Amino acid sequence: MDVTSVTTHVGAWARVRPWIGLIARVVLAGVFLFAGGTKVGDLAASGRAVHAYELMPYGLATAVGAALPFIEIAIGLLLLLGLATRLAGVLSAVLLSVFIAGIASVWARGLSIDCGCFGSGGELAPGQSPQYGSEIARDVVLLALAVFLVAYPRTPLSVDAYVLGDVVLEDDHEQQGEEQASQPGGTRATGA
Amino acid sequence: MSSRVKSKQANQVVRAQLAREERKRRLRMITLIAGALIVIAGFIGWGIASAQRSTKAQTPTGASSDGVGLIVGGNGGKAKVELYVDFMCPHCKTFEESAAGTLDEMMSSGRAEVIMHPVAYLDDASTTDFSTRASAAAACASDGGKLNEFSKALFAQQPAEGGPGLSDAELITIGRGVGLGDDFAQCVSDKKYVTWVSKVTNAASERGVRGTPTVYVDGKAVEATVQALTAAVNAAQ
Repeated sequence: MDVTSVTTHVGAWARVRPWIGLIARVVLAGVFLFAGGTKVGDLAASGRAVHAYELMPYGLATAVGAALPFIEIAIGLLLLLGLATRLAGVLSAVLLSVFIAGIASVWARGLSIDCGCFGSGGELAPGQSPQYGSEIARDVVLLALAVFLVAYPRTPLSVDAYVLGDVVLEDDHEQQGEEQASQPGGTRATGA
Repeated sequence: MSSRVKSKQANQVVRAQLAREERKRRLRMITLIAGALIVIAGFIGWGIASAQRSTKAQTPTGASSDGVGLIVGGNGGKAKVELYVDFMCPHCKTFEESAAGTLDEMMSSGRAEVIMHPVAYLDDASTTDFSTRASAAAACASDGGKLNEFSKALFAQQPAEGGPGLSDAELITIGRGVGLGDDFAQCVSDKKYVTWVSKVTNAASERGVRGTPTVYVDGKAVEATVQALTAAVNAAQ
């Protein structure tokens, strides 16, 4: 009895997991595409926004600010297509961690800037006050989604699934090769 | 177990092994391609920005010696007052209006030379990049010898944030109102100094000007109030 209930539980998680992954992919893709899209039209402004963090010399800040929107868009496209999902997840997690660290450091140093997360940033528009807390909270949620994709990169409706021939939405024993080895000729526990 | 069954099972194991290796190979390839894509994307951005930065900007005739400011007046004055302003910024308007008389007096008495750095930090605050266009128009007004008058008139008609700002035609009308002519109108319409404004803005960022208005007296940052400005200029006499 115990064994059965545990199996059912695992089965449910395995069925839901790919869909959570798909949602994570689409949400992250949307955020990155939007973030990159709002910055790509004014790369000089993006560089100034990076410089406003006062974390690197001006020349480096302009280079980072110019490259960042394109990298964000590229990651967004990978996530949207579900191409190299684990890599995209790792890069998302790295970027988001850097953003969180940057905002936290600005906050700790008492600087008053627009994070430049979406759009040009740098100077706060008149009458605006910094929103560091909510910006960090948002990035932490996105970071959690990215980490989920690193842990479970196999999602439905993805180029990965198509190219690798994975059957994402089947039960556990189809998930990974290593698991298959332990169940030769495995019987299907539940019907699809 | 017969040998036949055994070899069938062995075949299955081999096939599964081959399939796993093929899958790994494909995964490696996908990851490699995706990684290259990201790196290339980064370099594209860097390349575009470098190309944009090296675009030659026309420098206004009345530019300050550093090339990224406009001499408002008081040439050769004892103190050097530098103002970083954005025509979209309400605090710049209040500062400019409260300090106008003081600045005019400092320039006419030779106590200070005043240089304006018209930046475009707030392009996002209008739907038409009003900050850039207004600052470029200020450079046109400088060419026409009426920067001080134009700047005052422009601040007086500062548009609301979040809207379309003022059109080029409206900027020209304001210019004509202070006595600027067809050359000014042509300069505004041609967007002659738009690239230069971008240079001014980048130079401001490089100097560490994070907001507007920012005031420097003889290279030192001073609080943007008439009192602080007056005190710093007096100290420089």
